[in-house]
Amino acid sequence: MKNIMILGLVALLTVPLSFAQELTGEDIVQKVNDLMNVQTAYGKAKMTIVTTSGQKRTFIYESWSKNKGEKNLVRYLEPRRVKDQAVLMLNNADDIWMYFPRTQRVRKLATHAKKQKMQGSDFSYEDMGSGDAFITDYTPERLKDEKIEGYDCYTVELTRKPDSDMSYSRLIMWVIKENFVPVVIDYYHEDDPSLQEKRLIQSDIRIIDDLPTAMKVVMLNKNDNTQTEMELLEVKYNIQLDDSIFTERSLKK
Amino acid sequence: MKRGIILLVFPLLFSSFLLAQDKVEIFGYFESQLMGAEVKGEFLQLYSNKLRVDLKSSFSEKITFAANFDYITYHGKTQWNILDFLAPKVVSEVPQGMESFYVLPFSDRHFLDNAYIKIAFKHFDLTVGKQQISLGTGYVWNPTDVFNVKDYLDPTYEQPGHNAIRLDIPLGTSYTLTTLYSPDENWQDSAKMLQFKGRISHFDYSFIAIEKVWRFHDYTQFDMDSMNFLELPEKRQLFGVSTAGELLGLGVWAEYAYNKMASTKDFYELVLGTDYTFDFQTYVMIEYYRNTLGKTDFKEYNLNDWMRMMAMEQKAISQDQVYVFIQHPATDLLNIGISSIYSISDNSFALVPTLSYSLSDNVDIFAYFNLNFGQEGKLFAKNMGNGGMIRARIYF
Repeated sequence: MKNIMILGLVALLTVPLSFAQELTGEDIVQKVNDLMNVQTAYGKAKMTIVTTSGQKRTFIYESWSKNKGEKNLVRYLEPRRVKDQAVLMLNNADDIWMYFPRTQRVRKLATHAKKQKMQGSDFSYEDMGSGDAFITDYTPERLKDEKIEGYDCYTVELTRKPDSDMSYSRLIMWVIKENFVPVVIDYYHEDDPSLQEKRLIQSDIRIIDDLPTAMKVVMLNKNDNTQTEMELLEVKYNIQLDDSIFTERSLKK
Repeated sequence: MKRGIILLVFPLLFSSFLLAQDKVEIFGYFESQLMGAEVKGEFLQLYSNKLRVDLKSSFSEKITFAANFDYITYHGKTQWNILDFLAPKVVSEVPQGMESFYVLPFSDRHFLDNAYIKIAFKHFDLTVGKQQISLGTGYVWNPTDVFNVKDYLDPTYEQPGHNAIRLDIPLGTSYTLTTLYSPDENWQDSAKMLQFKGRISHFDYSFIAIEKVWRFHDYTQFDMDSMNFLELPEKRQLFGVSTAGELLGLGVWAEYAYNKMASTKDFYELVLGTDYTFDFQTYVMIEYYRNTLGKTDFKEYNLNDWMRMMAMEQKAISQDQVYVFIQHPATDLLNIGISSIYSISDNSFALVPTLSYSLSDNVDIFAYFNLNFGQEGKLFAKNMGNGGMIRARIYF
C-alpha cells in the first residue's frame, strides 16, 4: 500500500516533469498567450516614466479589454494635461482611434502609429495592445532553460514572420515554469536582430481571480537609457463587458 | 467694469452650486503667451494671459454637465492695422476715410465658451447647449466643417463652442447617425446637420449634409446701422464625404465638400492627406487642400479676399495648398518639428519650426517661428511679417 502511494507520488511528480520536457516553443507561447489574454479584463495602472535626465512623469489610466485582448480601451485619469484622453484599439490594434477631449476630436490612426511611444513612455502602443501577436506574428523556438530573476524558466526565442509588420525582429522570453508568466522579455531591433532595444521585467506576481498576475512591470530602454514602470493598482478578470464599451461613443465619455 | 464683475461672480456662484452636487470636477489651465512679428522693420509684441476653468459634473451615469469659462487679457500691441500687411494694390481698394476701420483689436475678454448637458439614453445621446463641433478627418483643413476655421500655425488648438442641440444615434457598434440643430433667429437661418458615420474594413467614412447661413462681409462698404462692415448673408448647402484609414502601411484620409450657394457661385473643397511614423520615431504628414473659392492668380486677390480670410470667414484665398509636417522626439521630453505650407497657386510658402517641451507633469511649453518666403501680394508674402510665438501652459 505504502509502495503504491510512493509510486503514485513519483508518478505525480514525474508527470509535470515529462510534460515540461515535451513542451515545444509553440506550447509555451500558447500558454503565455492564454494567460495574458483573458476573455475580459479591467485594470487601473500607474505608469511612471524615468527620463534620461532622471526626471519622472506619472500617468494613471484605466483599461478595459475583451475577446482575449482583441478589443482594448485605455482612458487617462491623470495628470490633468491628458485627463480623459482615450485610445481605442480594435482587431488586435490594427484599428486605432485616439480621442482628444480638449478639441473633442476623434482621430483614426494607421497601424504605423503603434510604433509611437505611449505618452512618451518606453512602451509603444504595439507593446500595450497587440492581442495574440506572439502567436500570429512570430515563430517560436525553445532554447535551453535558464534561471532568471530567481525563477526557473523556459526560454523561448520568437522570430518575426516574414509577412509580419511588428516592430521587433525577434524576442527572447523567459517564462516561469510554475505559472507561465513571462518574467523577462528582451526586444530586438526591427532591422538588426543582434541589437537589443528593450527589456521588460515583471515582478510582484500575485494570484488575482485565480490567475497569476504581475503587479509591477518595468520596461528598460537600452538605447535611450530610460525606463518606464507600470504598477497595477486594480485588476479584475472575466468581468461582464458590453461591446458598446469599445465604440467611439464610449471613447468620448 | 460692472459687467466684468458680474461675469466673474457668476461662474464662482455657479461652481459653488455645482460643488454642492456630488462628483463635480474643477480643472482647466492657465496659459501665458507672447507673440511677435516684424512689421515694416519694427518688431511688435502681443502678450496674452488666458485662464480656462472647466467644470464637469456627472449627476448620474447617464447625465453629464460640462462647461468652461475663459478669461483672456491682452497686453502690448493690442491694435494691429491689417493694412500694414497688405500689398499697396490691395490697400488702394480701401474707400477714402475708412482706413481706420481696418484694425484688428485684441480686447480683454471673458466668456462662457462651452456649457452643455449630455444625456445618454439607451439608444442615443442628446447634447444640448454650447458645445464644440468637430467635423471631418483633415488635420489643417476640414472642408465639411462649416462651423470652425483652423489656424494653420496651430491646427490642434481648441475650437470655440457653438450653441446646438445634437443627437447621436448609434446603429450597432460600427455606425452612428448624428443630427444637429444650431438655432439662429428663425428656422430658415438656423444651421441643420445630418451625418452618417460608419466603418468598412480598416476605413472610417462619413456622409454629411449641412445647411447654414454663411455670414460674409463686404469689407469695402460700411453699414451704419450695425456699425460694422456690410453683412452679406447667404444660404449655403453642403454635401460632403470624408474617410480615414490605411493604405500600403500609410495613414490616409480624404475629405470632400460640395457647397451649393443660394446666390453666388457654387464651389468645392477637397483634402487629401497621408502620414507615417518611421521606426526611429520621426513622424511625417502631408496634406493637400483645394478650395475652388480660392484664386489661381495672386494678382486677383482683392481686399475682400484678404479680409475674409483674416476674419476666418473663408478658409483660403489661393486655390491649391500643401501642408507638410515633420516631428521628431529629440529627447523624451522635447519634441521638435517643422511645418511648411506651400501655396501652389501663387508659388509662395511659409516655414514654421516648432518645439514642445514637457516641463513637468502638468506644464508644457510650446513655441514656433513663422517665416514667410513669398513676394509681395502673394499668400505668404514676406511683408506678412516674420514672427513667432512662445506659450507656457499650466494645467490644474
